Amino acid sequence: MVFEKVCEVIAANKDIDASTIAMETTMAELQLDSLDVVQMVMELEEAFDVSITINEPVSTVGKLVELIESILASK
Amino acid sequence: MAQTSLSTLLGIRYPILQGGMAWIADATLAAAVSNAGGLGIISAMNADAAWLRKEIAKARTLTDKTFGVNVMLMSPFAEEVAQLLIEEKVPVVTTGAGNPTRFMAGWIEAGIKVIPVVPSTALAKMVARSGATAVIAEGGESGGHVGDLSTMALVPQVVDAVSIPVIAAGGIGDGRGMAAALMLGASGVQLGTRFLVAEECPAHDNYKDRVLRAKDIDTMVTGRRLGHPVRSIKNPFSRDFASLEADNAVSNDELEKFGGGALRKAAVDGDIERGCVMAGQISGMLTKVQTCQEIIEEMMAECRAVLANAEKISL
Repeated sequence: MVFEKVCEVIAANKDIDASTIAMETTMAELQLDSLDVVQMVMELEEAFDVSITINEPVSTVGKLVELIESILASK
Repeated sequence: MAQTSLSTLLGIRYPILQGGMAWIADATLAAAVSNAGGLGIISAMNADAAWLRKEIAKARTLTDKTFGVNVMLMSPFAEEVAQLLIEEKVPVVTTGAGNPTRFMAGWIEAGIKVIPVVPSTALAKMVARSGATAVIAEGGESGGHVGDLSTMALVPQVVDAVSIPVIAAGGIGDGRGMAAALMLGASGVQLGTRFLVAEECPAHDNYKDRVLRAKDIDTMVTGRRLGHPVRSIKNPFSRDFASLEADNAVSNDELEKFGGGALRKAAVDGDIERGCVMAGQISGMLTKVQTCQEIIEEMMAECRAVLANAEKISL
């Protein structure tokens, strides 16, 4: 469910076809830089009603999904 | 309720910060800026904690005013530098080249005021939420590491995004630029290139002379391919770098290697042909070396004159 939402946010914000995004897809492949990631994290915080802190570079879609899942699990 | 002014918040006389320029912004420059009423900033650049400890101690012998340290988040020594700032109780920390949230709780707990450089509204919101005292919205007109947005576009958007003071940086070379930044909603300004040519600045005379000779169109941005673009004066080094960058046969590693040590070569050794002469787009406005005191007082006088004349503009 988190993965789907992440894909939706990436697709909506960056005009990327959500069907081309997989867990292993790297941010670099999507041509998204660290500022794009920060922007999406802020959007995802609203969607999931959580506060996300980025302590290390988020290099893949899967890492972003795992980060959010771990925060949701500890909520 | 009237907002506390940036100067009061930081314990400085004028809302003018000096940018953290690697190989340039050392204890001598930072102390001179702070003594002149601004906020001087030592650049921690890629140096280790031992080097920074000495610079902080030196600055304390040169000024009893508030000064800060700029942490380059991509530095391999970022962790130990972050810890040293807590030990040394440095009053103000600015950050650049990344997201500083992983260090912010520790700094804030130690009473340090944290002012990150932000190139986007999302990062501004994130650091504001993490307890930043203010943010520096730096447009791509600046020298050194640059973002995409221009100061004119970025500053008002960041001002709208956060409720903490915003300091404008990038493209501000005199009191007119400072007044314009205040009109965009900024509470203060940060100057890099203008202080680079200060008398007290330790940059090599060849470097300062090259910046003073530069015209409006003499800077360029290289390194976009590497993800950390840099603005510098067009010279043989930057042109060669641009050619290699455009050549797909050249790997990113080779490109990084070609650029390695180039700033030091220019700023310390004075090699302005083969070194990277980082400078902002306002270089063309600068014509002479002045003391930090002269720079700050001139900026403030110009800014006040421009603002006083504003009501005479007929619309």
